[in-house]
Amino acid sequence: MKNSWEKLAKLDRRVIYFLLLLVVVVPIIFPFRLKPKAMPPVEKLFNHIDTIPDDKCLVISVDYTPDTEPELHPMAIALLRHAFAQRKKVGVLCISLLGLGLAQDALATVSEEFNSRAQTNADSIISGRDFVFWGWQTPPLVPILGMGENIAKVFPLDYYGNRTDTLPIMQKIKNYNDVAILVSIAGSAVPFWYITYAQTSFGVKIGAGSTAVQAADFYPYLNSGQVTGMMSGMKGGAEYEQLVEERLGVYGRRRATDAMSSQTAAHIWIMITIIIGNIGYFVMRRRKK
Amino acid sequence: MKIRLPLILVLVTGIVGALPFIIPHGIAQSFDNEFRNSILRIIAAFSLVLGVGSIVRHHTYKIKWKRENWQYSWILLISLVITSIIGLFGGIEGTGALPTSVRGFSFDIQTIFVYMAIPLGATMFAMLSFFMASAAYRAFRARNFEATLLLIAAFIMMLGSVPLSSYIFPRLPGFAEWILTVPNTAAKRGMGFGIALGSLATSLKIILGIERGWLGGTK
Amino acid sequence: MNVATNPWIWVSAILTLGIFSFLYKENPFYRVCEHLFVGISNGYSITFVWHRVLMPALIDPVAQGQRLWLIPIAIVGALYFTRFIPKVSWLVRIPIAIVMGYGAGASIPRAIDASIVQQVRATIITRSTFESVYNGIWAVVILVGVIATISYFFFSRERKGIFKPLSYTGIIFIMLGFGASFGYTVMARISLLIGRLTFLLRDWLGLIR
Repeated sequence: MKNSWEKLAKLDRRVIYFLLLLVVVVPIIFPFRLKPKAMPPVEKLFNHIDTIPDDKCLVISVDYTPDTEPELHPMAIALLRHAFAQRKKVGVLCISLLGLGLAQDALATVSEEFNSRAQTNADSIISGRDFVFWGWQTPPLVPILGMGENIAKVFPLDYYGNRTDTLPIMQKIKNYNDVAILVSIAGSAVPFWYITYAQTSFGVKIGAGSTAVQAADFYPYLNSGQVTGMMSGMKGGAEYEQLVEERLGVYGRRRATDAMSSQTAAHIWIMITIIIGNIGYFVMRRRKK
Repeated sequence: MKIRLPLILVLVTGIVGALPFIIPHGIAQSFDNEFRNSILRIIAAFSLVLGVGSIVRHHTYKIKWKRENWQYSWILLISLVITSIIGLFGGIEGTGALPTSVRGFSFDIQTIFVYMAIPLGATMFAMLSFFMASAAYRAFRARNFEATLLLIAAFIMMLGSVPLSSYIFPRLPGFAEWILTVPNTAAKRGMGFGIALGSLATSLKIILGIERGWLGGTK
Repeated sequence: MNVATNPWIWVSAILTLGIFSFLYKENPFYRVCEHLFVGISNGYSITFVWHRVLMPALIDPVAQGQRLWLIPIAIVGALYFTRFIPKVSWLVRIPIAIVMGYGAGASIPRAIDASIVQQVRATIITRSTFESVYNGIWAVVILVGVIATISYFFFSRERKGIFKPLSYTGIIFIMLGFGASFGYTVMARISLLIGRLTFLLRDWLGLIR
């Protein structure tokens, strides 16, 4: 018995890696359907976007980079589905340069989903009319503060190289006064920058899509009302996907929801390994005494 | 001159940055907007030189002096040059002077980013899950009351954040959310005050020239 | 099984496996991928800085003979190059001073408002806090927790009297907060792994739909 606990404690790291791999892979191939239930911060964000008036727009700030793509990309896609389904005007920008390619991918994926079902031009999602992809500017203070005065001045060209002041959608989006909520999806402190600079100076409402690692840090701001609503990690993305499906009947690939079976299995597995590790620790400690 | 000029500039631009918030007058606002949109933007854009230049210099030296693993520096430099050429001359949407598509096979900057940079970056961070699993197994011990508390909170979060928990323990997700909204909020807010005051003090020290680490030396 | 025919998907899959190969041990395949990532990311950055910042904000207007006063600004920006010329490398401090000074100045009044004033306001208990009994109770718990946490980090006084239990209460709140962060960190890391494995199994090997 003593030997087996010691052996277990000295288990080769590659065995742990392999077991984790197995625990994640099996549910990907044989998923069990789990319905995520939206938590209040996600629901608040959904409801706020749902009630955006016609004269205001949703701004999505794609502030994540490839390293957090699996966790945050589903959020951007779910938000775009929500906005496009209700024909809300959308502006997209990036504070992180490496977010550009991801934002473009999300816009292309979701507009393609809608356009493949569209029967007329009016049904389609068109760049410059239904959404504008402003792109990226540096340093972060330039877009964050500058958008309070004149967005077209901050982004003279959109991502595709068109002059932003000539785009039809831009006739109605001049500055933060025309923004109902700005949702910053980030694996970094960018949502805090929006709170510190854009909200204090212009009063714009801020939503956040955050990696689970830093989600807990946003709760004081959620509590104070400085963050209107929030999605935390892949779970948050799955909850938003679920709301978009249930309440709007908009379907598409559910990247975050589909991952929930693997997520569940992995969480249970990690908990089991921690418990085994602790039992071994206490058994060996008692023996030493 | 070498020290005083940058210190004067940091003081002046610091005042320029703070003033429009304190004096929300039209003239101050317009000046601030113009300063940001023209001067700050252009100067900050050039800062890329520092990053790219340092990387190029480091790897050129590595190749020149044949330091350990110098061969890989070629990979970095060649990929940097090729990607830059494709991006600069092929244009962002592949509409530049350089053709970025051959017989339907596209290799524009966005394609390269989506199919090369995204998988590389995402996989590097995905590896952390293995390290975390191994570390949790070996080191996460309930040695005392405080550590046990941390462990319990972590377990509640892990279970409460997956959909399965609402089928088995319907109240668990709500309890996990309570931990986040009450004790976690209190702890993070308390720490947040310290962090905010610390960063304010640092900003003030930079503007007043007390903090000079950014000068990179006193010569 | 429906293996991808798009060569780019194969490139992505090979690069993904290259990075994962580090889990067995460090190897040349991993190192190639690592260096490739840095090279591509920097090339990508150069592209966008040129096409979307320098071209519209500097080169186009100056080439059209407008806003010629931007030329000296560009010269100040170009001082970043002096970092690599030892004799005049101190000049790099000028553009750094401008960008950093503005950032520090802009942050001071706004951070006081966002991170201190608004946060203090949310912590203070008023009569309206008790409009809902539960909210009122939790608001009191938050207030106690905030004070206790701050007292734990107050090192200028010995922990005696009321200060001792207060700072211990602080530890309890901090542990609960860190526990929540750890639980969420597990979720975050696993999510990233799921993302990559889904790509390999779905987009590359076509094992799932």
